[in-house]
Amino acid sequence: MIEVEGVARSFGDVQAVRDASFTVNAGSVTALIGPNGSGKTTLMLMLATLLRPDAGTIRIAGHDPVADPRAVRTAMGWMPDVLGSWGTISVRRTLEITGRLYERTPVQARERAQQLIDLVGLVELAEQPTRVLSRGQKQRLSLARALVHEPSVLLLDEPASGLDPAARVELRTLVRRLASEGVAILVSSHVLAELDEMADSAVYLERGVTASDERIEASRAQSRDWRIRAVDPAALAAALKKLRIAASPPDHLGTAVSVAGEVEAAQLLAKLVGAGVAISAFGPAVGDFEHTFLDLSRTTTEGGPR
Amino acid sequence: MTRYFDTLGTIVQLELRQRIRSVAWLVLVSVVFVLVGIVTALLWFSITAFGGDVSDSAGVYSTIIFFVLLVGTLVTPAISGAAINGDRDAGTLATTQVTLASANQIVLGKFLAAWTVALTFLVASLPALLFTLIAGGVPGDTLAASLGVLVLELGVVAAIGVGLSGLITRPLFSVVTTYLVVAALSIGTLIAFTLGGLAFQSQQTQTIIGIDYSVGGEFDPNTGLPEEIVCLEPVTYTNTLPRFDLVWGILAANPYIVLADAAPTSFDANGFPQDLFGTIALGVRSAQSAPEFESVLDECAAAKEGDINLGYFSETPREIFDRTVPSWFVGFLIHLVLAAAALTGAIARTRTPAGALPTGSRVA
Repeated sequence: MIEVEGVARSFGDVQAVRDASFTVNAGSVTALIGPNGSGKTTLMLMLATLLRPDAGTIRIAGHDPVADPRAVRTAMGWMPDVLGSWGTISVRRTLEITGRLYERTPVQARERAQQLIDLVGLVELAEQPTRVLSRGQKQRLSLARALVHEPSVLLLDEPASGLDPAARVELRTLVRRLASEGVAILVSSHVLAELDEMADSAVYLERGVTASDERIEASRAQSRDWRIRAVDPAALAAALKKLRIAASPPDHLGTAVSVAGEVEAAQLLAKLVGAGVAISAFGPAVGDFEHTFLDLSRTTTEGGPR
Repeated sequence: MTRYFDTLGTIVQLELRQRIRSVAWLVLVSVVFVLVGIVTALLWFSITAFGGDVSDSAGVYSTIIFFVLLVGTLVTPAISGAAINGDRDAGTLATTQVTLASANQIVLGKFLAAWTVALTFLVASLPALLFTLIAGGVPGDTLAASLGVLVLELGVVAAIGVGLSGLITRPLFSVVTTYLVVAALSIGTLIAFTLGGLAFQSQQTQTIIGIDYSVGGEFDPNTGLPEEIVCLEPVTYTNTLPRFDLVWGILAANPYIVLADAAPTSFDANGFPQDLFGTIALGVRSAQSAPEFESVLDECAAAKEGDINLGYFSETPREIFDRTVPSWFVGFLIHLVLAAAALTGAIARTRTPAGALPTGSRVA
């Protein structure tokens, strides 16, 4: 598991991370969400034993990355946001060498490389030098490399960028499977809809500060947009007017209405169906993470509580 | 311990796989092979055209060894000077740092690999060297000593290159700086030695006791001396002498002089060195001894003993050699300190978790 408490790190005058605190339990997937430049990658680098925090404590699988980086590295797999690979070396050799660098025997390294090639679907490219790989294929190689030593903590920095939709589904399935095997996983991504389906919980990072649980609760409880699509848009508009509910002008996705919480949404749906409107789609306009993220960034830019 | 060397070996192997299989390497090795071959052939024919003998082939051999050192020190910075910061730019350093390979394994592994690649250039010039050995009868110990020094000197340049690539953020700057270090050692030491020697000067008083040729009767046709030798009054001159003995350590740090001085010198019957190495080594050795501040040149006394030249030649080169310390030892020690400092600095900078980072650089 990952435990982070009051971590801060600056580069010269720039405070990249000011105060980050969160926990990722074994067997769970946590999303790390924040706008560009919010300190996500810096935080990841500190967890990956590459950067020393200026303040605060980090525990990865019970070890301190500063005091005992070796113990942390044994337990932790890191997939960086920068896609570097040894250009002239084949996919298979890359994984074998990585295995050797994790102090596996040649035989173990070879077997593990084969498993991972099958796992991430690079069978046909296994003997190719890595410089011929596309961005998405390098992404898979990078993931395989992070898994070489069967880590119990996994840090994935933007794992889905560059992947096609099918590969994203595979990634999601793989991440969920690893979590079910007891791995603690922290995923950062810009694709919030992606994270909605993958992650159990989320850490919101804004200007180097993680949002507190209370702030997230408050944001969740706020009314949010739901999208309704009806077979006959005119009938839906009339029904909403009758119920005195303000609705946005309909577009190709349907009509958006503001609803406070799931209970109210269920009641609204029942009323609309009761009024004889043929509803074809009814759901939140944006995912949970996106809603919270947008709400949090809105309140911070408006100078609200932090 | 075996685990340490296991990981070190994996890093070396990884580096070699990336470098030795590249087209650039193949082209460079071929160029070196051809170039050294051409230089050897030209030197050989130019000397046999003048009807040279064995001692001339020693001259060919030492020139070729110098040429190989020149080529080696020109190629090695290019191989080693971007080893660490180049990986950082390519995004492959951080993924190695998060494995169980430690900073010193990474840096030392890259150094050993760069050294090995540099040695392949030495191997490419071996055929030419062996040719001079077999065809020209260069002593085996000269060959062994000069090859040994070449191997070590290329290691020093490789270490400085890898070290600087860890200390300097941008690959271009670290490669150029490595070249500058090589230039400073090869040419800068010569300049510093000359200027330094001239900057420190000492007064020398020289007393000359000559022969009065105007008296003493007829000249002996054999010796060119008068029958009766009458001494002149002693004359004293004062002049200033450069003090190269104070700065000879600077010249000792020159890799070409290390090479020349380390190779065993063979002397002819008059005690003069026979090859280029020996001649250069003699120059450095002579610079070690302080000049005589009070010298007396007594031509007259020498003439009375029968040979006027006895007054001039106090020592043969061979005697100077035997009296002075080998400078290659000092020079090589200076190189080792430089190499070790560069590597230690690079290890400290590559260690993670990283504390302060130089501005404009990133970990990954």
